[in-house]
Amino acid sequence: MRGLLSLRHSGSATDEALLAAAAQGDVRAFEALYDRYSRAVYSLALRMLRDAKAVEEVTQEVFLSVWRGGRDYDPRRGSARSWILALAHHKSVDAVRHQRLRAADRLSEEMTGETDVVGEAIRSVEGARVREALAALSEVQREAITLAYYQGYTQQEIADRLGLPLGTVKTRMRDGMLRLRILLGRSMQGEQT
Amino acid sequence: MTHGELKEDIAAYALDALAPEEARKVEAHLRACEECRSEVAALREVAGELASGAPMVEPPSALRARVLAAVRPTPPAVTLPRAWAVSLAGAAAAVLLILAGLTVSLQRERAALHARLAAQGQVLALLASPTAKTASLTGTVPAGVRFVYDPDRRRAALVVTDLRDPGREFVYQLWLIAGQQPESAGVFRPVPGQPIIVPVAADLARYQVVAITVERGPHGVPRPTATPILLAKI
Repeated sequence: MRGLLSLRHSGSATDEALLAAAAQGDVRAFEALYDRYSRAVYSLALRMLRDAKAVEEVTQEVFLSVWRGGRDYDPRRGSARSWILALAHHKSVDAVRHQRLRAADRLSEEMTGETDVVGEAIRSVEGARVREALAALSEVQREAITLAYYQGYTQQEIADRLGLPLGTVKTRMRDGMLRLRILLGRSMQGEQT
Repeated sequence: MTHGELKEDIAAYALDALAPEEARKVEAHLRACEECRSEVAALREVAGELASGAPMVEPPSALRARVLAAVRPTPPAVTLPRAWAVSLAGAAAAVLLILAGLTVSLQRERAALHARLAAQGQVLALLASPTAKTASLTGTVPAGVRFVYDPDRRRAALVVTDLRDPGREFVYQLWLIAGQQPESAGVFRPVPGQPIIVPVAADLARYQVVAITVERGPHGVPRPTATPILLAKI
């Protein structure tokens, strides 16, 4: 993570400027974006998908979307960084849901709780800052967010899995995210300076 | 769905934890609601931080090359698939063959030009000769055909300025006739808008008549098979 951050601040151009240049067909700007974010995109996809071939496909799709769709990026809707990572997450979620459809047996095994999916998901979180922030959540908030973000489950699937009303899952997810926003917001601010 | 109901789904939306149809409803709402848009932006930043919770793994360098190759205009010489390279070699060979063919046909053309120049030179020499004579050939077709000959120099030329096409498979054949005996002096085909010169080398004092028949091409026949269409006494 430290490598990612230092890379991110190594070039003089902002992510937003690079994204705008890439949208105009600037290959070098695109290359710089790739070098800044390929590691984060690849690692997130790998965390969610495990399968190396699928991970490479997702990474390639993400960056081709960055190349073709850079002009869809709206700075009022957040930073270029969060846009790229959201793209990576979205495509990884699509892929992981597709994987589950194809491996229905594994899904039912996970759904009956025979493996400790949540525990495994939380233990595998690297990066002290994120782990600390997740640790500061209530257990039920952490569970909901981890299953959603790292495992790619929908809120309905999480409700079914935990035997909870959908509304309860929504509330946990929402409260957890707002709490994370405060916890990570301090370090996000610090990172900008 | 109301703003309040959709607001409950904003966090799940930022986490990609909605079913596709739910996500579409939120997106429709976002287009109209500034408040929810800015909340999505803020929660996406948080989700982006969660991304750095994944164990960092360096992507393979081959992937970088592949992604960059996909967006870069490809330099054809470097990235051509092998099959193309092979067919390119074939194309190069074909170009060489065509060039070789061109060379041969250029050589032929050059030889033909030489022959034509020589024939023209002969006609010029004939015309310049004080002993040269000219006979116009006449017959069953309208024609501009003259026979220029110099009995002393054993040289002659048939000058064709106007003669219709004999038909695809036919040629005109020139005959020199001594008594009842016709001897072939060559074949030719008229070229529209261009005079033709058929050079003749013979002991012209021996012949009394020149004649032209239409014969089967491309090389003509040893003996005339038809009545002459044009002739002249010499």
